Amino acid sequence: MEIISYREALRESMESALANNDNTIIFGQGADDYKGIFGTTIGLAEKYGKHRVQDTPLCEEGMTGICVGAALNGIKPIHIHIRADFVFLALNQILNMAAKYKYMFGGHYDVPIFIRAVIGRSWGQGAQHSQSPQALFSHFPGLKVIMPSNSQSIIESYQYLLNEYSGPVISLEHRLMYDLNFDVDRDQIRTGKDALASYIVREGKDVTIVATSIMVLEAVRAAKYLAEYGIDCEIIDLHSTTDIEHSLIIESVKKTGKLLVADTSWVSFGVAAEISRIICENAPQYLTAPVVNVGMVPTPCPTAKSLEDLYYPNLESLISKIINLSGSGKNIPIPDEKSMADVYKKFKGPF
Amino acid sequence: MTSPNLYTKLFEQALKIRLVEEEIIHRYPTDKIQSPVHLSIGQEAVAVGICNALTDKDNLFATYRSHAFYLAKGGDLNAMMAELYGRVDGCCHGKGGSMHLAAPEVGFMGTSAVVASSISNAAGAALAAKLLNKNQLNVVIFGDGATEEGVYHETLNYAALHQLPVIFVCENNEYAVHSELKDRQSYSILEHAQSYGIATQKIEKGYDFIEIDKEFSKIADTVRTTGKPYFVEIMTCRYKEHVGPGEDFCGGYRTEDAVNHWKSLDPICTDTQMVERLSPAIMQEILASIEFAENSPFPGLEELYQHVI
Ligand SMILES: Cc1ncc(C[n+]2csc(CCOP(=O)(O)OP(=O)(O)O)c2C)c(N)n1
Repeated sequence: MEIISYREALRESMESALANNDNTIIFGQGADDYKGIFGTTIGLAEKYGKHRVQDTPLCEEGMTGICVGAALNGIKPIHIHIRADFVFLALNQILNMAAKYKYMFGGHYDVPIFIRAVIGRSWGQGAQHSQSPQALFSHFPGLKVIMPSNSQSIIESYQYLLNEYSGPVISLEHRLMYDLNFDVDRDQIRTGKDALASYIVREGKDVTIVATSIMVLEAVRAAKYLAEYGIDCEIIDLHSTTDIEHSLIIESVKKTGKLLVADTSWVSFGVAAEISRIICENAPQYLTAPVVNVGMVPTPCPTAKSLEDLYYPNLESLISKIINLSGSGKNIPIPDEKSMADVYKKFKGPF
Repeated sequence: MTSPNLYTKLFEQALKIRLVEEEIIHRYPTDKIQSPVHLSIGQEAVAVGICNALTDKDNLFATYRSHAFYLAKGGDLNAMMAELYGRVDGCCHGKGGSMHLAAPEVGFMGTSAVVASSISNAAGAALAAKLLNKNQLNVVIFGDGATEEGVYHETLNYAALHQLPVIFVCENNEYAVHSELKDRQSYSILEHAQSYGIATQKIEKGYDFIEIDKEFSKIADTVRTTGKPYFVEIMTCRYKEHVGPGEDFCGGYRTEDAVNHWKSLDPICTDTQMVERLSPAIMQEILASIEFAENSPFPGLEELYQHVI
């Protein structure tokens, strides 16, 4: 077992991508500067050359198209955006071109581009620096979307997607996790397609929590707390929002009868809606209570701390929702923790 | 000859911006301003020189590097400070923060934190001004980096094609975050704008608010009479790091000497007599604005859901 931070796992994955394949090129605004995309590309331009770790002009749409073209012709581009919000400028190339190139031309072409985009959160990121667009990208057939929630997930899924997979990928990384340390067990690294699969983080019998990204960590914290009061949560890390394992979720709900979805974005039309759809279509009979959702409230992201704390879910709201859903534990005290951001700023793992 | 009054007036405005931002730096460690700040220290003269040629009826669109233009355009300091402090009396009720200031009462039309995204909005506002006979200028401020974005090119074309009364102002500080201009651009910003048939002007002395005011006033008058677009590039220098309260010479992407050279030309650095004379009154105003901010309530649930639609 090793302890590796989210940031180090990303840095390691970037380096192995360059080392494993001479045709890998990292593109990103500031990829070669002294901060190196929050530390994830530091030193790589010096080691592998600036042509392989390229700073780019500010031109998200054009660069994405250039990456698509390069990918069509033998290069493996990794295109990094320090905020997911900036990817919106490139939607035409991602949704109309990359996602469709293979299908539209009868399977003649592959577009192996790997887009990394960081979800910002807290400390006044505000409306344009905090969005979490997994639902948007997962809606369009042709893309793979992952939301790694720990270092091991990064190492295994990046390894598979960068070395073996040949289609367009979007990885949504969470800024608040960059400084967190995680246990990594190299002997347990999942390989091949398995690296994308949803998996059970914690087994339990009372409530099923399906979570994405940092909400997996929140669910784990809530479950630990509630375990002391006799509520046993089962947690599923969705990991990929495009490759959801239906059976894993259905089997879990069969066992618990109760489903809560905790996602990093808005609830409507999102992951929460999708997981509910899967259960409604396949196994509504297993539900013994209505599905519960946890996500951001349906407003753009405000900047004032007092508003951010109301906008994002926190341990208090998550735990009280789980207690209500479980139908037990009227006497369980609710922890007084209203700001998730505060916790992760101070938190030093390992998980 | 520059009238002494004009010099004092513009100096005072520029100094106020600098002192406000220095006070922000000073207060930053308290963590009461939980908002990423992109400081304009070193670039104040651009904002002051430009805004002096505009009236409250003229619209200005700007960027996340917002404080200087907000204040120069006449935005209320108390409301800005309260916004940075995340309070309900902030100019956006705590929903915008430093990157998103607005002051419609003085034609300050908001600041976007997505590079280049306001440029087309200004052209659209100019289209409206033209169609509705508003006799109003629409001005947009953006950095050198923003000229690399596709929407910039699309907007120059449209503005030229439709002869819109819009003024594009490129604040060229030669860096986008840590990347030097020559590593990002294969074109000359000015010549490129000219190629659309747009009238252009370059102002080298971006520290000289008198010069900028003089040149920009002429340009503003021209656009008011011709109704045609104009492009202005103003060379300037950001003294602090791209975002945040510190300096970043340790980053090695530029030298302190280059910035010091600029400082040696900057009246706010060199005219210490003026600084001494004007600072006390300005500082009083700034301290009052902080008190105002700190006394303003935190926004709550009701504010959270207001103005979504
Ligand atoms: C579309 C988009 N891409 C990237 C960013 C990240 N970013 C913020 S400011 C900035 C540099 C912009 O440079 P410039 O336009 O020269 O303005 P300056 O910051 O120097 O005032 C970048 C790349 C962003 N905010 N929006």
